[in-house]
Amino acid sequence: MLKLIRVGGEEVVAGSSVVEVSELRKEYPPDVKAVDGVSFSIPKGIVFSLLGPNGAGKTTTVEILEGLRTPTSGQIRVLDVDAARDYSSIRKRIGVLPQNFEPFDLLNPIEAIAYWADLFEVSMSKKEVESRLDQVGLLHRKSIMSKNLSGGEKRKLGIALSLVNDPELLFLDEPTTGLDPRARRDLWKLIEDTKKKGTTVVLTTHYLDEAEKLADDVAIMHKGKIIAHGSPSQLIKKYGKKTAIVLVDAGPEGLKELSRRGIQAAKHDNDVIVEVSDPSELRVMFAKLSSIEVKYKEMYTRRQTLEDVFLGLIGAKMEEGVLQE
Amino acid sequence: MNKILSDTINFGRQYLRTKVGAFFAFVFPILLIVLFGAVFTSGEGTGVSLPVQNLDSGPYSQVLIDILEQTGYFDISNISTDVVISEYVDDKSLTLALFIPDDFSSDISSNQTATVRLYGDPTKSSYMVSMVVLSAALDQLGYSVSGGAPIADIEQKSPGSKVLEPYDFLLPGFVGLTVMVSAMYFMTATCAEHRSRGYFKLLATTTLKKSEWLTSKFLFNSAMLIVSLLLTFIIAKTMFDLKASITPMSLVMVVVGTFMFTSLGMLFGTIAKDPESASAVSNIVGFPMMFLAGSFWDLSAAPFYLQAIAMAMPLTYLNNGLRDTMIYGNEASAAVNLVIVLVLGAIFFVLASRLMSWKEK
Repeated sequence: MLKLIRVGGEEVVAGSSVVEVSELRKEYPPDVKAVDGVSFSIPKGIVFSLLGPNGAGKTTTVEILEGLRTPTSGQIRVLDVDAARDYSSIRKRIGVLPQNFEPFDLLNPIEAIAYWADLFEVSMSKKEVESRLDQVGLLHRKSIMSKNLSGGEKRKLGIALSLVNDPELLFLDEPTTGLDPRARRDLWKLIEDTKKKGTTVVLTTHYLDEAEKLADDVAIMHKGKIIAHGSPSQLIKKYGKKTAIVLVDAGPEGLKELSRRGIQAAKHDNDVIVEVSDPSELRVMFAKLSSIEVKYKEMYTRRQTLEDVFLGLIGAKMEEGVLQE
Repeated sequence: MNKILSDTINFGRQYLRTKVGAFFAFVFPILLIVLFGAVFTSGEGTGVSLPVQNLDSGPYSQVLIDILEQTGYFDISNISTDVVISEYVDDKSLTLALFIPDDFSSDISSNQTATVRLYGDPTKSSYMVSMVVLSAALDQLGYSVSGGAPIADIEQKSPGSKVLEPYDFLLPGFVGLTVMVSAMYFMTATCAEHRSRGYFKLLATTTLKKSEWLTSKFLFNSAMLIVSLLLTFIIAKTMFDLKASITPMSLVMVVVGTFMFTSLGMLFGTIAKDPESASAVSNIVGFPMMFLAGSFWDLSAAPFYLQAIAMAMPLTYLNNGLRDTMIYGNEASAAVNLVIVLVLGAIFFVLASRLMSWKEK
């Protein structure tokens, strides 16, 4: 018999998703609502991202899903199991990279992987252990004590540990925070490769570009609530401004000329901005503009990103997880 | 590999790779026994001066004095029976003097508990050690007189079956203390470090249970302590002609004691949130136990309330059991203490496993 639960205002069949969360709340005395009635579901095989500034409730939410925190109320099913009651039965099927992951300082990567495999009761030969390290690009550092690894290498080791049991569901809590751009790109590739193997990934991040690049589904959290939810393109379409063509330094003359030709435009500083309602209209608009004699320094397309969505929703930019009010 | 065994090995590997860990495991106990041994051997031929006023005309007081002389620790001299000893001690500023009352032998003969008084400055280490030696001498006298029943009120104790050196008497307490420090302090600090560095959270994402983690720590501590104490014993035996022996029962006591203190350490680890508070929590409990649980001296002469406190200290039973088997060869009494330690350990284990949370609140 199918069991229906309410997710995000809609009824879905229990078991059709890897994670199902309904009206999740986590409160701390006296009146802190870390998570305030959150509902969502995560289909199998996607990268789901919880995006938001520090303190939004992302880690609290994800740690409840990982079985590391107890919710105040709400329904949580993970891998079709009631997470509040029977988490131990699914522990072997889940991988976790906690926030601020620190490896055991005095174990080298080879020892750490072998140790973790034992803790998941997974039999691994030395060759298999080395293969895991190779997978995350750490084979050449296999004998270095973990305390001597760089931040990016430690995080790679963390991902290798979280994958040691070939999990069906992988939680990555801010895996790239504080890393340099190259290390971030390396980890992005790792996450993409993991997804390709069919693993469902739950990624919390405060990097908008990271969510946009990696996630199939994004839930933007703010003050314990999900304020927007959808694929990056859906979110941009729904909450972002229109795609625009920018004529740099076209000035008032440019604006006047475009108006004379019946093209709606606006002036911002000395630039003239022409918005198009749909990206497919860009080509036509470019053709129109090139047929008009308007002086400008350069012309470029301004595509909307999650950053614009975020700015529109929250009213502030975010840098390293901190809102720039 | 079995996950408990794997956790044991990998934890041990990390522990021994820290210089502090290796120091406390191997160097610290050796230093202690060398230090204490040196204290008691360096005075050979120039023993601690012990003036004795003996008002007893019976045979037993002289036997006691003979025993004290045989220890080699004291240079014994006589105080005239004509003086009031308390005034004599004050007048001469004596740091140590022994008073044997006139009813000493008669009390013993009539199976009553006799009393001797040791004058001196209790803050002086020589006084403390003299208390230990006197206690041992009284025990030995009791053995020869009554076959084992207590005979004197101060430092009453089961007597030794052989002539033992002071450091022989110290050895069991030293072993017990090492077990406590290595297992309890270490475990509390480990819990605090695991919490503050997020290792508990990390372990909570695996299939390892808290009880399994605690078991692996117990296994590691036991193995480490057995090796460490055997090494220490061999060195002490070589350097100081130790007469006390490591018995099978003493090894069992060490293992069970390790179980108890590892569990107690984890219990304290539920309170300690960081390494600093771990140190404070361990010291609050550990320091009084170091001095009141009979590691360095017998508490039978201590005030009643101190004895009562000592009886509430887990280390007391470990020390008593070790002393029973290593000094007196009294295996039955050691077994009783072993059971007490085991029961306490089981209680601490269950409490620690239940109260310790690897989850976030």
